[in-house]
Amino acid sequence: MSENLLEQLQTYAAQSNGKISVARKGETFIEVDQDHIKDFISHLINDLRILHLATITGLDLGQNIGIIYHFEQDKDTIHVRSTVPKAQSTAVSIVDIIPGAILYEMEIHDMFGVTFTGNPWINQKLLLPDNWPDDLPPPLLKTTKPAEIRKRLHLEVEQK
Amino acid sequence: MFESLTKWARTRSPWVYHINASSCNGCDIELVASLTPRYDIERFGAVLVPSPRHADVLIVTGTVNAQTKDRLKRVYDQVPEPKHVIALGACAVSGGVFKGCYNAGQGIEDVIPVDMFIPGCPPRPEAIMYGVLKLLGAVK
Amino acid sequence: MSDESKVREESAGLMEYSVENLVPFGPIHPALKEPEYFKLILEGEKIVQVIPRIGYVHRGLEKAAESRPWVQNMYMFERTCGICSFVHSLCYGQAVEGLTIYEVPRRAKYIRLIIAELERIHSHLLWVGLMGHWAGFETMFMWVWNDREVVLDLVEAISGNRVHKSMNAFCGVRRDMPENMEDRIVERMKFITDRAHYYREIIDTEETMLARTENVGNKINQETAEKLCAVGPMARYVGLRQDVRLNDPYAAYDEVPFDIVTRTEGDVRALLRLRLDELVVSANMISYAVKHLPEGPIRVKIAPIIPAGEHSSHCEAPRGEIFYYVKSTGGRTPDRVKSRQPTMANIPAALELLKGQTLADVPMVLTAIDPCFGCMDRMSFLETGSQKQWTWSGEQLRQYGIKHYFPERFNANHSKFKEAH
Repeated sequence: MSENLLEQLQTYAAQSNGKISVARKGETFIEVDQDHIKDFISHLINDLRILHLATITGLDLGQNIGIIYHFEQDKDTIHVRSTVPKAQSTAVSIVDIIPGAILYEMEIHDMFGVTFTGNPWINQKLLLPDNWPDDLPPPLLKTTKPAEIRKRLHLEVEQK
Repeated sequence: MFESLTKWARTRSPWVYHINASSCNGCDIELVASLTPRYDIERFGAVLVPSPRHADVLIVTGTVNAQTKDRLKRVYDQVPEPKHVIALGACAVSGGVFKGCYNAGQGIEDVIPVDMFIPGCPPRPEAIMYGVLKLLGAVK
Repeated sequence: MSDESKVREESAGLMEYSVENLVPFGPIHPALKEPEYFKLILEGEKIVQVIPRIGYVHRGLEKAAESRPWVQNMYMFERTCGICSFVHSLCYGQAVEGLTIYEVPRRAKYIRLIIAELERIHSHLLWVGLMGHWAGFETMFMWVWNDREVVLDLVEAISGNRVHKSMNAFCGVRRDMPENMEDRIVERMKFITDRAHYYREIIDTEETMLARTENVGNKINQETAEKLCAVGPMARYVGLRQDVRLNDPYAAYDEVPFDIVTRTEGDVRALLRLRLDELVVSANMISYAVKHLPEGPIRVKIAPIIPAGEHSSHCEAPRGEIFYYVKSTGGRTPDRVKSRQPTMANIPAALELLKGQTLADVPMVLTAIDPCFGCMDRMSFLETGSQKQWTWSGEQLRQYGIKHYFPERFNANHSKFKEAH
């Protein structure tokens, strides 16, 4: 990563209360809280012109759920991470800045149960089947077991 | 006598309906490749039809996930008697690599009765043709 | 009556909104409740909004990856998709290799490049054939897929399988290039190049393809493509120089000379030209790589326990950028694997491409983004004026398109199949 870009990232990270760390081979990780995430991403897009969002990943971190936005520009990858507590998993949607993020946010809603306020399609299922029971916890949480999901979805057949 | 005539016609030219039930598309491509000039399954009379109501043989690929399970059953019911079902590929036979995944079945035999299993990941077009023709031989 | 006029008002609002605004996603139409793969809302003959529902092939790979050993996951992720399977295992492999201290040997990088480009050629040929099939040009479909067999023969000679090659291993490849393959590969690549030029001529001059691809598809500009996170050919066909092989080279792409193909016309025909030209570039790359294949080992064995950390990797699959993110806590199994396929990234752009198109053009536009087969299997429609709802299989939609453009041809070939509308 060029020195210039790193400096600018550090400036914006400082403005947004964020922590920045550079890992090996050109990968930068930046922690930003939910109050500042939208501003920070606006800076990335409008000021630094880092336009390509590869995807958004959800992560089970025990008490919290991590939401990582992966931005790419040439050889640099910038991972912007924000966390929401599991007990109250609502996050800010970035669909009005980057419309292409709409499906990624829907996927995290399906897999981790995080609701992105501002996403017009957030209540529609993208990947999960229609007969997914409402009381079954989201599949990618560490506490949800595949065997239980299979039973509730009627995919298990009793051995004859 | 009429029955044996229709049986003869059916074995000469099986009308095949293909349904993809959560497949990675590998088996589907090899099935479509068997229509192309090098393998040319059509010279044996097999024809892919656009609707299950016209079909004699149902070819199913993929592990059946919760979303496609009902649809597979509905399509099976729409195929008129006498009907035959071919499970194409390791996923349709037993769940394949995805056995144990939270939204993957373990073979289509749990959903509909199967007459012929064609294993492989994916099976080669020659294997597909051999399976289809062997099934017809059994009918004959 | 009031419901109907309300619906009309709502959908009129959708159309206006989408033409003026960059954010194309309005609220979901309340009338559509069926679980079909694509839901298309029409006003008269024109598409106003499209809502995707892609859960038909969701099997739960990411969850399963957390309980399987690292190396087993490589062969599981290969089977995410039958068409770009090698690139999936390559991208996963690179993401995991980044967490270790080992380097991939140079010969392995070249072999990876050769197989990846062979896969690109086979995928593009498959797609060109399918475009012919959906347009009603069966002959082209048969000829293109016949030529594709040449490529699959090469893949089989090198890796042992036609579709799921399983060539990758961590820090290397599993099989070496066989002896005396160089001449054979160069000769076959010349053949493929000649055929690609021939098909290029066909799509530029033949009546069926011209009628169904020229000026078809809503034109989007570069800014829209970027904001919608389009990848691969969907970004390049509006002029963006976006290609992972160029922007962030992996495998041997920094040593093998090539240039990417971009176009600016912004219609479906531009995509056809782009993919055929890319084919030729790939064939040249393979010939070069085979002639300059370095000596040396093909693999470095690594321990089954991957050190803790997070890493991501991306590759250029035939359909666009593939992205993998991997997190390890120092165990035998991953803590988290995230895989993002290119089609998912291209769906928002595809929805935009369909706006304002007529029903007969839907099959060509949807196939143009190079989706998975099954995505096209079943679609439901709602016409807001008459409130008519219906569901079609992919085949029914295809036949509708052909009948609309070439009514004489449709009747001659498919008279025995009654149209199901």
